[in-house]
Amino acid sequence: MVEPKAQAPVERPPNAETVLPLSRVRTIMKSSMDTGLITNEVLFLMTKCTELFVRHLAGEAYSEAFGQKTGEALKYEHLSQLVNKRKSLEFLLQIVPVKIRVHEFQEMLRLNRSAGSDDDDSESGSESDE
Amino acid sequence: MVERIEDLNLPNAVIARLIKESLPESASVSKEARAAIARAASVFAIFVTSSSTALAHKQNHKTITAKDILQTLGELDFESFVPSLTQDLEVYRKMVKEKKEIKASKKDTSTTENANASTTAPTEEATNE
Repeated sequence: MVEPKAQAPVERPPNAETVLPLSRVRTIMKSSMDTGLITNEVLFLMTKCTELFVRHLAGEAYSEAFGQKTGEALKYEHLSQLVNKRKSLEFLLQIVPVKIRVHEFQEMLRLNRSAGSDDDDSESGSESDE
Repeated sequence: MVERIEDLNLPNAVIARLIKESLPESASVSKEARAAIARAASVFAIFVTSSSTALAHKQNHKTITAKDILQTLGELDFESFVPSLTQDLEVYRKMVKEKKEIKASKKDTSTTENANASTTAPTEEATNE
């Protein structure tokens, strides 16, 4: 029994290997409230798709900022800019917020107040972890 | 279920590798950018999971299937992921099937030659050097 394996390595050949740990992805999936049973197949697919997403996010942020140029440094603001721009990344707006300076924030608050609206729920906070 | 919030983080080294692979030659990534991407990836997984769960429930299924995920990705504007994921899934299914077959065939043979086989002790490390 000889199994035909390993075709010529193309750009990114489809494969059944994941680089992210399945167990961690399972934990993450379970943290979403009403996730029921997670089959191995679904776990595999989610892991793969998360890997793709990481590639996608990094690649897009880079090319959006630098185009085809090589050797540039990808920074936080490139990511937050992309998230701000892309409809499909809307779900990350609070996860990767555009950072603003304290005085800008105060200015924003001031403008908000003077605009006469008394809704105080637009707090976006410019905290920095790490 | 999740005891510590760090349990939701994806391993740094793997994330760093994935990022590196997706950037052009000699590009670098700041630590803060890497952390943000890692966080985004976790949230993405949760987002897709809960959307798929909602989709499955809508179709009166209790558990999500691969199809639910692929359909969800389309709805969430990530249809560009679907073709390569579909291919990966095919390879994965084939692998699972092959593994099953190997297991089955091993079971067949092991019943006949059970007595004399499977007693090879791993003593390699001792012989090396």
